[in-house]
Amino acid sequence: MVRIIIADPSYLVRKGLSTILNELKCVTQISEVSTPDEISDAIISEMPNMMIINTSLSSIPEVDSLIKKQGTELNIISIFNSPLPNNSSEKLISILDGKSVLLNKLRNQVKNVQQSTQQQENSEELSDREKEVLQKVALGKTNKEVANELFISTHTVISHRKNITRKLGIKTVSGLTVYAILNQIIGMDDIS
Amino acid sequence: MLITADMKMADLIHLDFQLLAVIQRIGIPLGFREKTIDEVCKENNVNTDFFLQISNSFHDKDFFPKERFFEFKAEWLVNFLRRTHQCILEHKIPEIELKIEGLVEDLKATTRNYELIKNFFTEYIRELKIHMELEDNKVFPYVVELDKSLEANKKTPKFEESFSDYNIQKYLEDHNDIEEKVFDLKNILIKYLPPPMDNCKYNSLLFEIFRLEKDLSDHAKLEDKVLIPKVKLMEREIKNL
Repeated sequence: MVRIIIADPSYLVRKGLSTILNELKCVTQISEVSTPDEISDAIISEMPNMMIINTSLSSIPEVDSLIKKQGTELNIISIFNSPLPNNSSEKLISILDGKSVLLNKLRNQVKNVQQSTQQQENSEELSDREKEVLQKVALGKTNKEVANELFISTHTVISHRKNITRKLGIKTVSGLTVYAILNQIIGMDDIS
Repeated sequence: MLITADMKMADLIHLDFQLLAVIQRIGIPLGFREKTIDEVCKENNVNTDFFLQISNSFHDKDFFPKERFFEFKAEWLVNFLRRTHQCILEHKIPEIELKIEGLVEDLKATTRNYELIKNFFTEYIRELKIHMELEDNKVFPYVVELDKSLEANKKTPKFEESFSDYNIQKYLEDHNDIEEKVFDLKNILIKYLPPPMDNCKYNSLLFEIFRLEKDLSDHAKLEDKVLIPKVKLMEREIKNL
């Protein structure tokens, strides 16, 4: 499943892109947002693989740094309110583009993302390291404690936790505890 | 479809039965006969425009007239949010609780799993209650007094007494996310719990959880996008009094 955020101030543009994406017939989950606040909320709650964003939003410094923080996991396509040259990159679209141009560019981009997410989703199983982190988190340890016990940085712990949440679809510590018990990663007696 | 004042109230429910919740929470009883939305609202002392904006935004998630909502009396919104709390705590949560308890038979072989789910949800109810009680007992009365003070053009005695050093920022600081656990519960039930013997029971539990999740997210949207920004505006005004 490819999860896409469409970020554009214009309702017409958002609806138009949604319609075109829906024609692509690959499983997508689309959410539409229009302001910087909504973008940062949606990045957390939707865990998107792709964001199609108007340059009027992505040029706002806080949005820009938010996007940079997502790294390569989030594929960005930029929407321009002005015309683009004929041979422009597939990652750039203009609101003046015709259907065939848009459909082609978006299809290729979505297909790329789909292929890479499928590989990721096939490796849905937690890695051994992730299991170790999960075990400690499920026992109620803080990121710092986990980091100390596994001799890794807190930054690494946070990134493992992000992956665990993405793979399992469980966000809270108590949810992770339930999962860990169900899968015998920790015992019922380990928690008080 | 855009909901308008001249539509019949009964037709509105046929159009989208989820709006029954809105009608109840805005304080309108059933028994509409052939009356229009406008007529029913007037009879029940509900502002028709407020009713229309709320029902349109619940009916169509793209329709969210934030600025229009700011114009309405804060008290209307507070009453609506209060009734939502009541409905969730007194009806929805007990229903889900009962359904979870109904699983005990199916999960007999693995009492452990049943206990896990039950405890998880009990913990969630506790958090949800604390969250909603804080809003009911502190935030909402604060908003209502703030509104009264602005209307009277001076701080009311009650405002001076109870809320002189309170502000919405304080609430936001210990405002926790009440939707995440519902999201987790859903995934645990769908993906990780060993399959139950009675799918029907299990599905109906899941339906309720999906509904609760939607309800909470609509509710949070009204609080975060309308109530809180509106209160911030009101706080700026009261400073000038």
